[in-house]
Amino acid sequence: MTEKTPPPVIELTNLKKRFGIGDAAHYALDGVDLTVKKGEFIAIMGPSGCGKTTLLNILGLLDGQVEGSYKLNGQPLESLSRRKQSHIRSEQIGFVFQSFNLIPRLTVLENVALPLLYKGDLKIKRLKKASKMLKTFHLGEREFYMPHQLSGGQVQRVAIARALVNEPSIILADEPTGNLDSNASHIIMEELSELHKKGNTIIMVTHNPYLTTYASRVITMLDGKIDTDTFHLPSTPAPYSEKIPLNKTESEGA
Amino acid sequence: MLFLNHIENAIQSIRSNRLRSILTAIGVTIGIASITAILSLGVGARSIISKQVDELGGTIAVVRPGVPQNTITQNINHLSGSQYAASTLTKQDISSLKKIEHVTEAAPLMILQGAVRGDTTPSSNANIIATSPSLEKINQLKLLDGQFLDPDLIETTAVVGHQLAVDLFGTEQVIGKSVSVRGQSFTIIGVLQPTHAPINFNTVDLDSSVFIGFESGILQNQGTAHIQQINLQVDSVNNLESVVVAANKTLLKNHLNQADFSVMYGDSIAQPNSQLFGIITGVSVAIAAISLIVGGVGIMNIMLVSVAERTREIGIRKAMGATNSTILMQFITESLILSTIGGIVGYGLGYLLAFGVSLLLTFDPAFSWQVAIAALLVSVVTGTLFGAYPAIKAARKDPITALRLYN
Repeated sequence: MTEKTPPPVIELTNLKKRFGIGDAAHYALDGVDLTVKKGEFIAIMGPSGCGKTTLLNILGLLDGQVEGSYKLNGQPLESLSRRKQSHIRSEQIGFVFQSFNLIPRLTVLENVALPLLYKGDLKIKRLKKASKMLKTFHLGEREFYMPHQLSGGQVQRVAIARALVNEPSIILADEPTGNLDSNASHIIMEELSELHKKGNTIIMVTHNPYLTTYASRVITMLDGKIDTDTFHLPSTPAPYSEKIPLNKTESEGA
Repeated sequence: MLFLNHIENAIQSIRSNRLRSILTAIGVTIGIASITAILSLGVGARSIISKQVDELGGTIAVVRPGVPQNTITQNINHLSGSQYAASTLTKQDISSLKKIEHVTEAAPLMILQGAVRGDTTPSSNANIIATSPSLEKINQLKLLDGQFLDPDLIETTAVVGHQLAVDLFGTEQVIGKSVSVRGQSFTIIGVLQPTHAPINFNTVDLDSSVFIGFESGILQNQGTAHIQQINLQVDSVNNLESVVVAANKTLLKNHLNQADFSVMYGDSIAQPNSQLFGIITGVSVAIAAISLIVGGVGIMNIMLVSVAERTREIGIRKAMGATNSTILMQFITESLILSTIGGIVGYGLGYLLAFGVSLLLTFDPAFSWQVAIAALLVSVVTGTLFGAYPAIKAARKDPITALRLYN
C-alpha cells in the first residue's frame, strides 16, 4: 500500500470465465473481485489450473468472452470493439511471457520496437525509442543480435524492454522467470522491482513463492476464486551471490 | 506508414524463405509470361494492317463490295471467302470515285484465280491481280527491277511479285521473260521488291502475285469486271473523312440507292483482320490464364504454410497491439509482393518469348503500356485473391491459442 490516492487501474467485479458448454461447462474464473491501484506490484500464486493465466489473459484483453465487469482505468471494456481493445493493448499494456516470445527472425532492436509499430510511430522514432530502452537494460551493444544469440536471461530482459517501450500503464508478466535459472531469475526480478520503484503497475503470475518477496501484494487463487489477498512492503531482495532457498519466504507468500 | 512497414516485413520474410519464395513466384511468372507473350503478339498482329495504312500516310480509303460488316461473324465470313461472290462494284464506280474532289488516285483490285506458269514450273498459290497503274502510287509499291504497269504499253505486259518470280523462274532476274496467266502469255516488265507482308489491306499477298492490266483482267474474266476492292488515295489526311462521305454519296447514286458496298478508312480497314486476331488472342489468353490460376494456388498454398509456421508470431503481434486488419494486411502484402515480383519477371520473360516467336513470324510483338498494365494488374489481383484466404485465417487466429502453441 505504497500509493497515494490514484484511480484504480483495474477494477474487476464478479468476473467469470466459462469454458465448455452444458454438462461440460467449467468456470476457470468463478467470481473474481479485484481492484488494482496504480503502482502496485501484485504477485498471483496458486496451483496449476486455478485460473491465474486465464485471469492474466483477461486483464491483458486477449480474452474478451467473459461475464462480469472489467474496468481498465475506469473504462468498462465489455462494450469496446476488438479494434479498440487492440489499441488499448498497444498503448496501455505490456506483456512479459514465460517463453519470452520474441519474434525469431527480427533483431533484438526490431523486437523491442514492435509494439511502437502498432501505436503508429515512424520507423526512425521507433528504433530510437527501442534503442534507448535497451540501453536502460544494459543491452545497448546487443541491439543487432538475433534472439537466438542471447542467453535466456538476456532474452527475457529484451522482452521486458519490449513490454516497457510503449510506456504502458500495466505490465502483465506470466511466470517471467519460469524458464530461467536462479541467477537469471534474480536479475529479472531486480529489473521488475526497479520498474515498480519507478511507479509502474506490475501484475505477475508465478509458481515460485520466493519471488513474492519483491511484490507489494500477494494474491493466491484456488479454483477460479481469490483465496487470500495480502499486502506487504516488498522486502530487500537477497544479494546476487546468495543461493535462494525456496522455503525462505514461504510464510510471506501464503 | 504502416503499409511501408508491411512491405519491409514481407520482404524480410520472403528473404528468409528464399528458395520457397522463388519457387512460388515462378508459378506466377510462367502465367504472366505466357499472357504477356500472347497479348503482345496478338496486339502486334492486330495492328499489322493499321500500321500499313499509317505508313502509306494515312490517306488511304478502300471501297469493298457488300454491306458494311460490323459483327465478328460477318467479318470472319468475309475473310473466308465472300471475295469469290460476284462483286457489286463496277467500272463506272471507279471513274465516279476518281472525280470526287481531293481524290488523287483510285485503283481497282480484281483478284482472279487461275494457273500461272513460268518457263516450266506452275505456281500453285499465285494470285492474279488485275489493276490500274495508279496502284503503284497508292500502295507505294517499290520495284526491284523494271517498271510497273503503264497505260502506254501493250496490254500483255505483267509485273510479278518477288516471291512469285523466284517460284516461277528460280531467279529475280525475270524482266523480258514471259509468264502464262490462265493460258495467256504476258511479258514481264517489272519485279516488285519483297514486302514481307502476307497480311495486308489488299487481302492478298503481293509478293506472290502477278499484276496485269485491268482491261486484260476483264478479258480474262469473260468480259466482266469483278472488283474486290478499290483503293483510293486522298490528297491529305484532313480531307479523308469528307472524301469518304462523298464516296458514299456517289456510290449510292450509282447503285440506285442500294447500300451494297462499304467505304472504309483508318482502323475500319483493318477491322475484319483485327477482330479475327482479337478472337484468337482472347482464346489463347484464356488458356494461358489457367496457368496463372495454378500459380495463384501455389501462392495460396505457401501462404497457408507460412501462416501456420508463424502462428506464434501472430499471437505475439496481437498481444503487442496488432489489430486483425493489420495482421490481414501483413499477410496480404506478402502474397502481393510474391505475385508482383513474379509478374514483373514474367512480363520481361513474356516479351523475350514474344520476340523469339516473332522471329518466325512476319510481324513484331507490340510494346504497349496496356499490356504492361494488364500484366501488373493481373498479378496484383492474383496475389490479393489467392492471398486473401490465408491472410483472413491469420487475422482470425485467437491470440491465446496462438501464444500457447509451442509452450
